[in-house]
Amino acid sequence: MDELIYTLKQQIIEALNLEDMTPEDIDENASLFGEGLGLDSIDALELIVLMEKNYGIKLKDPSQGKEIFKSVAVMADYIQKNRTK
Amino acid sequence: MTKHEVYITPNEVSIDGKVLIHNKNGAAMLTELYRAYVGDYPKFFKMDTLSKLGFVASELLLHSEGAERFVPREDRAVVFFNRSASLQADTAYQATIQDPENFFPSPAAFVYTLPNIVTGEIAIRNKYFGETSFIVLPENNPQIMARELQNVFLDPMTTSVLGGWLDCTDENHFEANIFLILKS
Repeated sequence: MDELIYTLKQQIIEALNLEDMTPEDIDENASLFGEGLGLDSIDALELIVLMEKNYGIKLKDPSQGKEIFKSVAVMADYIQKNRTK
Repeated sequence: MTKHEVYITPNEVSIDGKVLIHNKNGAAMLTELYRAYVGDYPKFFKMDTLSKLGFVASELLLHSEGAERFVPREDRAVVFFNRSASLQADTAYQATIQDPENFFPSPAAFVYTLPNIVTGEIAIRNKYFGETSFIVLPENNPQIMARELQNVFLDPMTTSVLGGWLDCTDENHFEANIFLILKS
């Protein structure tokens, strides 16, 4: 799980152009939106693409993202349970 | 009346004719300028090169306005011109949908597939609520640009325009020649 969390952090940094950030800078339990990483709605769409591209997970209902993208840890847990690649 | 002017190419930067020293070239130079003269707007890193160019150029142009800069205003327009529209962003987005076997349209790339996004970026940053336009021309034509910029002042609300030429084809080919123009 730790390895998946680290990889996911790297993928998020690359996909969202979080310049100057390293995986170590991201608290896996911190909120991704709002006060945490401060991501916006376009970032949320980009995270949906990231999940499909890298893990074969297609979110049928985008509103699911609200729960899944709560934090990197929650996201990694969801990926581990639902990944197809 | 032109108050200030900024000129940027991949290897040259000047403000009101004074050359600004920098170490890098191309898009890396825009990031260098951002870090040196702005630094408090992380959204910069998500922008395409055209928006980065316009953002950095406008920051250098507006630097002298000081604290009053971020007071919301409706009397300033943002009007740019170029030849290449949003070609670089269009190409980047196309790359995400080119391969049917690897078809993942990027929302972040798609956002910038209109040249006028840069006018919005600048308006949001500076809390401008006036007119914003981006006009695509066949070539850099100072006469047409001067006429269009004068026309902006036909709106009685507008007292100044941030505008000029802002063209980018890729990370190593771009040119900004923008002005802050006050109503005479």
